[in-house]
Amino acid sequence: MKEISFRTDVLPLKNELFRLALRITLNRADAEDVVQETMLKVWNRRQQWEQIESIEAFCITICRNLALDRLKKADNQNASLDDEGYDAPDHSYSANPEEQAMQRDKVERVRMLINQLPEKQRTCMQLRDVEGKPYKEIASILNMTEQQVKINIFRARQTIKEEYLKQEKYGL
Amino acid sequence: MDYKYIEQLLDRYFEAETTLKEEQILTAFFEQDEEELPEGLRQYRPLFAAMQQDDALGDDFDARLLQLTEENIQVKARTISMTERLRPLMRAAAVVAILLSLSTALNQSFKDERVWADESDYALKYETTVDEPAMAYDLLGSDTLKLDSLYKPTGYLE
Repeated sequence: MKEISFRTDVLPLKNELFRLALRITLNRADAEDVVQETMLKVWNRRQQWEQIESIEAFCITICRNLALDRLKKADNQNASLDDEGYDAPDHSYSANPEEQAMQRDKVERVRMLINQLPEKQRTCMQLRDVEGKPYKEIASILNMTEQQVKINIFRARQTIKEEYLKQEKYGL
Repeated sequence: MDYKYIEQLLDRYFEAETTLKEEQILTAFFEQDEEELPEGLRQYRPLFAAMQQDDALGDDFDARLLQLTEENIQVKARTISMTERLRPLMRAAAVVAILLSLSTALNQSFKDERVWADESDYALKYETTVDEPAMAYDLLGSDTLKLDSLYKPTGYLE
Protein backbone atom coordinates (compact mmCIF):
# COMPACT_ATOMS: atom_id res chain seq x y z
CA MET A 1 0.00 0.00 0.00
CA LYS A 2 1.25 3.48 -0.78
CA GLU A 3 2.62 5.52 2.03
CA ILE A 4 0.40 8.37 3.18
CA SER A 5 1.87 11.77 3.84
CA PHE A 6 0.09 14.46 5.79
CA ARG A 7 1.30 17.24 3.51
CA THR A 8 0.29 15.66 0.22
CA ASP A 9 -2.65 13.41 1.12
CA VAL A 10 -4.42 14.96 4.10
CA LEU A 11 -3.86 18.70 3.94
CA PRO A 12 -5.19 19.10 0.35
CA LEU A 13 -8.56 17.78 1.58
CA LYS A 14 -9.03 20.97 3.58
CA ASN A 15 -11.42 22.73 1.18
CA GLU A 16 -13.61 19.70 0.65
CA LEU A 17 -13.80 19.21 4.41
CA PHE A 18 -14.40 22.91 4.93
CA ARG A 19 -17.35 22.92 2.54
CA LEU A 20 -18.89 19.91 4.26
CA ALA A 21 -18.37 21.40 7.73
CA LEU A 22 -19.80 24.68 6.49
CA ARG A 23 -22.85 22.92 5.13
CA ILE A 24 -23.44 21.32 8.54
CA THR A 25 -22.49 24.09 10.96
CA LEU A 26 -23.57 26.94 8.63
CA ASN A 27 -20.85 29.09 10.15
CA ARG A 28 -17.45 29.76 8.62
CA ALA A 29 -15.48 30.16 11.85
CA ASP A 30 -16.96 26.97 13.28
CA ALA A 31 -16.30 25.14 10.02
CA GLU A 32 -12.66 26.18 10.01
CA ASP A 33 -12.24 25.02 13.61
CA VAL A 34 -13.85 21.70 12.70
CA VAL A 35 -11.45 21.17 9.81
CA GLN A 36 -8.44 21.95 12.01
CA GLU A 37 -9.70 19.60 14.71
CA THR A 38 -10.32 16.91 12.08
CA MET A 39 -6.80 17.17 10.71
CA LEU A 40 -5.18 17.07 14.13
CA LYS A 41 -7.24 14.03 15.00
CA VAL A 42 -6.19 12.32 11.79
CA TRP A 43 -2.57 13.29 12.46
CA ASN A 44 -2.68 11.81 15.94
CA ARG A 45 -3.89 8.54 14.50
CA ARG A 46 -1.06 8.34 11.97
CA GLN A 47 0.01 4.94 13.32
CA GLN A 48 -3.23 3.54 11.84
CA TRP A 49 -2.98 5.18 8.42
CA GLU A 50 -1.66 2.03 6.82
CA GLN A 51 -4.77 0.11 7.80
CA ILE A 52 -7.19 2.73 6.45
CA GLU A 53 -8.73 1.91 3.11
CA SER A 54 -9.40 5.50 2.06
CA ILE A 55 -7.84 8.36 3.97
CA GLU A 56 -10.28 10.74 2.28
CA ALA A 57 -13.36 8.86 3.45
CA PHE A 58 -11.77 8.57 6.89
CA CYS A 59 -11.26 12.35 7.07
CA ILE A 60 -14.78 13.10 5.85
CA THR A 61 -16.30 10.78 8.45
CA ILE A 62 -14.35 12.43 11.28
CA CYS A 63 -15.13 15.89 9.96
CA ARG A 64 -18.85 15.20 9.79
CA ASN A 65 -18.93 13.78 13.32
CA LEU A 66 -17.04 16.75 14.73
CA ALA A 67 -19.31 19.18 12.88
CA LEU A 68 -22.40 17.41 14.22
CA ASP A 69 -20.92 17.50 17.76
CA ARG A 70 -20.35 21.20 17.45
CA LEU A 71 -23.85 21.74 16.18
CA LYS A 72 -25.25 19.82 19.12
CA LYS A 73 -23.12 21.70 21.63
CA ALA A 74 -23.89 25.13 20.25
CA ASP A 75 -27.53 24.19 19.65
CA ASN A 76 -27.56 26.77 16.92
CA GLN A 77 -29.51 24.87 14.35
CA ASN A 78 -31.82 27.78 13.65
CA ALA A 79 -29.52 30.65 14.39
CA SER A 80 -27.07 31.24 11.63
CA LEU A 81 -28.58 30.98 8.20
CA ASP A 82 -27.51 34.55 7.59
CA ASP A 83 -24.01 34.19 8.95
CA GLU A 84 -22.71 32.73 5.78
CA GLY A 85 -23.44 35.81 3.76
CA TYR A 86 -22.89 36.16 0.08
CA ASP A 87 -19.50 34.56 -0.05
CA ALA A 88 -19.54 32.55 -3.23
CA PRO A 89 -19.69 34.74 -6.28
CA ASP A 90 -21.19 33.29 -9.42
CA HIS A 91 -18.60 33.51 -12.14
CA SER A 92 -21.09 33.22 -14.95
CA TYR A 93 -20.54 35.72 -17.69
CA SER A 94 -23.31 38.21 -18.12
CA ALA A 95 -22.97 41.46 -19.95
CA ASN A 96 -25.43 43.21 -17.75
CA PRO A 97 -24.55 43.80 -14.07
CA GLU A 98 -28.21 43.74 -13.12
CA GLU A 99 -28.60 40.37 -14.78
CA GLN A 100 -25.49 39.17 -12.96
CA ALA A 101 -26.87 40.29 -9.61
CA MET A 102 -30.14 38.51 -10.30
CA GLN A 103 -28.32 35.30 -11.14
CA ARG A 104 -26.31 35.54 -7.96
CA ASP A 105 -29.46 36.14 -6.01
CA LYS A 106 -31.08 33.02 -7.46
CA VAL A 107 -28.06 30.86 -6.68
CA GLU A 108 -28.03 32.21 -3.15
CA ARG A 109 -31.71 31.35 -2.75
CA VAL A 110 -31.01 27.77 -3.80
CA ARG A 111 -28.18 27.59 -1.24
CA MET A 112 -30.49 28.83 1.48
CA LEU A 113 -32.96 26.11 0.53
CA ILE A 114 -30.18 23.52 0.73
CA ASN A 115 -29.25 24.80 4.19
CA GLN A 116 -32.80 24.21 5.35
CA LEU A 117 -32.79 20.53 4.41
CA PRO A 118 -32.45 17.90 7.15
CA GLU A 119 -28.76 17.28 7.87
CA LYS A 120 -28.62 13.83 6.27
CA GLN A 121 -30.14 15.01 3.01
CA ARG A 122 -27.89 18.05 3.04
CA THR A 123 -24.74 16.01 3.61
CA CYS A 124 -25.70 13.42 0.98
CA MET A 125 -26.38 16.19 -1.52
CA GLN A 126 -23.13 17.94 -0.65
CA LEU A 127 -21.06 14.79 -1.18
CA ARG A 128 -22.85 13.86 -4.40
CA ASP A 129 -23.73 17.09 -6.18
CA VAL A 130 -20.86 19.25 -5.00
CA GLU A 131 -18.01 16.80 -4.47
CA GLY A 132 -19.13 14.26 -7.11
CA LYS A 133 -18.74 11.11 -5.03
CA PRO A 134 -20.16 7.70 -5.97
CA TYR A 135 -23.11 6.40 -3.93
CA LYS A 136 -21.00 3.58 -2.56
CA GLU A 137 -18.46 5.93 -1.04
CA ILE A 138 -21.12 8.20 0.45
CA ALA A 139 -22.80 5.14 1.94
CA SER A 140 -19.60 4.04 3.65
CA ILE A 141 -18.85 7.54 4.95
CA LEU A 142 -22.34 7.97 6.40
CA ASN A 143 -22.66 4.36 7.47
CA MET A 144 -25.84 3.82 5.44
CA THR A 145 -26.87 1.57 2.58
CA GLU A 146 -26.55 2.84 -0.98
CA GLN A 147 -30.32 2.73 -1.22
CA GLN A 148 -30.67 5.04 1.77
CA VAL A 149 -28.19 7.46 0.22
CA LYS A 150 -30.20 7.46 -3.00
CA ILE A 151 -33.43 8.12 -1.12
CA ASN A 152 -31.85 11.05 0.72
CA ILE A 153 -30.56 12.54 -2.51
CA PHE A 154 -33.89 11.97 -4.23
CA ARG A 155 -35.73 13.81 -1.45
CA ALA A 156 -33.20 16.62 -1.35
CA ARG A 157 -33.36 17.22 -5.12
CA GLN A 158 -37.14 17.06 -5.14
CA THR A 159 -37.48 19.50 -2.25
CA ILE A 160 -35.02 21.97 -3.72
CA LYS A 161 -36.69 21.84 -7.11
CA GLU A 162 -40.21 22.26 -5.77
CA GLU A 163 -39.37 24.98 -3.29
CA TYR A 164 -37.27 26.92 -5.75
CA LEU A 165 -39.83 26.78 -8.56
CA LYS A 166 -42.54 27.77 -6.10
CA GLN A 167 -40.52 30.83 -5.09
CA GLU A 168 -39.89 31.69 -8.73
CA LYS A 169 -43.55 31.44 -9.55
CA TYR A 170 -45.09 33.20 -6.59
CA GLY A 171 -42.21 35.26 -5.28
CA LEU A 172 -40.74 34.88 -1.78
CA MET B 1 -32.00 22.24 -31.44
CA ASP B 2 -33.35 19.17 -29.74
CA TYR B 3 -33.02 19.11 -25.98
CA LYS B 4 -34.84 15.81 -25.44
CA TYR B 5 -31.68 14.13 -24.18
CA ILE B 6 -31.06 16.87 -21.61
CA GLU B 7 -34.71 16.84 -20.56
CA GLN B 8 -34.54 13.12 -20.09
CA LEU B 9 -31.36 13.40 -18.06
CA LEU B 10 -32.93 16.13 -15.98
CA ASP B 11 -35.95 13.95 -15.18
CA ARG B 12 -33.69 11.11 -14.17
CA TYR B 13 -31.55 13.51 -12.14
CA PHE B 14 -34.55 14.50 -10.03
CA GLU B 15 -35.37 10.82 -9.57
CA ALA B 16 -31.78 10.24 -8.37
CA GLU B 17 -31.23 7.79 -11.22
CA THR B 18 -28.39 9.52 -13.06
CA THR B 19 -24.78 8.37 -13.00
CA LEU B 20 -21.92 10.68 -12.03
CA LYS B 21 -21.02 11.03 -15.69
CA GLU B 22 -24.54 12.10 -16.63
CA GLU B 23 -24.57 14.58 -13.77
CA GLN B 24 -21.35 16.08 -15.13
CA ILE B 25 -23.03 16.48 -18.51
CA LEU B 26 -25.93 18.31 -16.88
CA THR B 27 -23.59 20.55 -14.90
CA ALA B 28 -21.63 21.42 -18.03
CA PHE B 29 -24.84 22.07 -19.96
CA PHE B 30 -26.20 24.46 -17.35
CA GLU B 31 -22.91 26.36 -17.18
CA GLN B 32 -23.92 28.07 -20.41
CA ASP B 33 -25.16 31.62 -20.26
CA GLU B 34 -28.79 31.91 -19.39
CA GLU B 35 -29.76 33.43 -22.74
CA GLU B 36 -28.34 30.49 -24.60
CA LEU B 37 -30.44 27.98 -22.70
CA PRO B 38 -33.87 27.05 -24.07
CA GLU B 39 -36.78 28.72 -22.33
CA GLY B 40 -38.07 25.63 -20.55
CA LEU B 41 -34.70 24.68 -19.09
CA ARG B 42 -33.53 28.12 -18.08
CA GLN B 43 -35.19 27.96 -14.67
CA TYR B 44 -33.01 25.02 -13.60
CA ARG B 45 -29.75 26.83 -14.09
CA PRO B 46 -29.41 28.14 -10.49
CA LEU B 47 -29.97 24.62 -9.12
CA PHE B 48 -26.76 23.49 -10.78
CA ALA B 49 -24.88 26.74 -10.28
CA ALA B 50 -25.50 26.45 -6.53
CA MET B 51 -23.45 23.23 -6.51
CA GLN B 52 -20.36 25.04 -7.79
CA GLN B 53 -18.92 26.01 -4.46
CA ASP B 54 -15.56 27.64 -4.10
CA ASP B 55 -15.46 28.08 -0.35
CA ALA B 56 -11.86 27.57 0.64
CA LEU B 57 -9.37 27.95 3.45
CA GLY B 58 -6.33 30.14 2.97
CA ASP B 59 -2.63 29.32 3.04
CA ASP B 60 -2.36 30.46 6.65
CA PHE B 61 -4.41 27.40 7.54
CA ASP B 62 -1.77 25.14 5.92
CA ALA B 63 1.04 26.92 7.72
CA ARG B 64 -0.73 26.58 11.06
CA LEU B 65 -1.49 22.91 10.56
CA LEU B 66 2.03 22.09 9.45
CA GLN B 67 3.38 23.85 12.50
CA LEU B 68 1.06 21.85 14.72
CA THR B 69 2.00 18.54 13.13
CA GLU B 70 5.20 18.10 11.17
CA GLU B 71 7.19 20.29 13.55
CA ASN B 72 7.01 17.51 16.08
CA ILE B 73 7.91 14.88 13.56
CA GLN B 74 11.48 14.40 14.79
CA VAL B 75 10.40 13.87 18.35
CA LYS B 76 7.39 11.74 17.79
CA ALA B 77 6.83 10.49 14.31
CA ARG B 78 9.24 7.63 13.86
CA THR B 79 7.72 4.76 11.99
CA ILE B 80 8.43 1.55 13.82
CA SER B 81 7.94 -1.77 12.12
CA MET B 82 6.24 -4.66 13.86
CA THR B 83 9.47 -6.64 14.30
CA GLU B 84 11.23 -3.61 15.72
CA ARG B 85 8.41 -3.03 18.12
CA LEU B 86 8.46 -6.63 19.29
CA ARG B 87 12.24 -6.90 19.58
CA PRO B 88 12.49 -6.26 23.36
CA LEU B 89 9.74 -8.78 23.93
CA MET B 90 11.55 -11.31 21.77
CA ARG B 91 14.75 -10.72 23.70
CA ALA B 92 12.98 -11.34 26.97
CA ALA B 93 11.41 -14.46 25.53
CA ALA B 94 14.82 -15.70 24.37
CA VAL B 95 16.32 -15.20 27.85
CA VAL B 96 13.43 -17.05 29.43
CA ALA B 97 13.81 -19.85 26.92
CA ILE B 98 17.54 -20.17 27.64
CA LEU B 99 16.95 -20.22 31.39
CA LEU B 100 14.22 -22.78 31.05
CA SER B 101 16.24 -25.12 28.86
CA LEU B 102 19.26 -24.75 31.14
CA SER B 103 17.25 -25.59 34.22
CA THR B 104 15.64 -28.59 32.55
CA ALA B 105 19.03 -29.80 31.41
CA LEU B 106 20.45 -29.43 34.92
CA ASN B 107 17.46 -31.12 36.48
CA GLN B 108 17.85 -33.96 34.02
CA SER B 109 21.50 -34.51 34.91
CA PHE B 110 20.80 -34.46 38.66
CA LYS B 111 18.13 -37.02 38.11
CA ASP B 112 20.61 -39.19 36.15
CA GLU B 113 23.05 -39.04 39.06
CA ARG B 114 20.40 -40.18 41.45
CA VAL B 115 19.54 -43.11 39.26
CA TRP B 116 23.22 -44.07 39.11
CA ALA B 117 23.47 -43.87 42.90
CA ASP B 118 20.51 -46.15 43.24
CA GLU B 119 22.13 -48.73 41.02
CA SER B 120 25.32 -48.65 43.12
CA ASP B 121 23.34 -49.94 46.06
CA TYR B 122 23.83 -53.37 44.65
CA ALA B 123 27.59 -52.98 44.54
CA LEU B 124 29.78 -54.23 47.39
CA LYS B 125 30.54 -51.68 49.98
CA TYR B 126 34.10 -51.60 51.18
CA GLU B 127 35.19 -50.28 54.50
CA THR B 128 38.68 -49.52 55.42
CA THR B 129 40.19 -51.54 58.24
CA VAL B 130 42.78 -48.95 58.91
CA ASP B 131 41.63 -46.02 60.96
CA GLU B 132 44.65 -43.82 60.94
CA PRO B 133 46.55 -42.66 57.87
CA ALA B 134 49.78 -43.19 59.80
CA MET B 135 48.98 -46.88 60.29
CA ALA B 136 48.39 -47.21 56.62
CA TYR B 137 51.75 -45.68 55.97
CA ASP B 138 53.39 -48.24 58.26
CA LEU B 139 51.59 -51.05 56.57
CA LEU B 140 52.88 -49.83 53.24
CA GLY B 141 56.37 -50.59 54.51
CA SER B 142 55.62 -54.22 55.39
CA ASP B 143 55.57 -56.91 52.75
CA THR B 144 52.44 -58.39 54.21
CA LEU B 145 50.53 -55.58 52.62
CA LYS B 146 47.75 -56.89 50.61
CA LEU B 147 44.71 -55.17 49.36
CA ASP B 148 42.57 -57.62 51.25
CA SER B 149 44.10 -56.60 54.54
CA LEU B 150 43.33 -53.00 53.94
CA TYR B 151 39.80 -53.46 52.71
CA LYS B 152 37.42 -56.15 53.54
CA PRO B 153 33.84 -56.56 52.47
CA THR B 154 31.38 -55.79 55.23
CA GLY B 155 28.31 -56.89 53.40
CA TYR B 156 25.68 -55.53 51.07
CA LEU B 157 23.98 -52.27 51.51
CA GLU B 158 20.30 -52.40 52.18
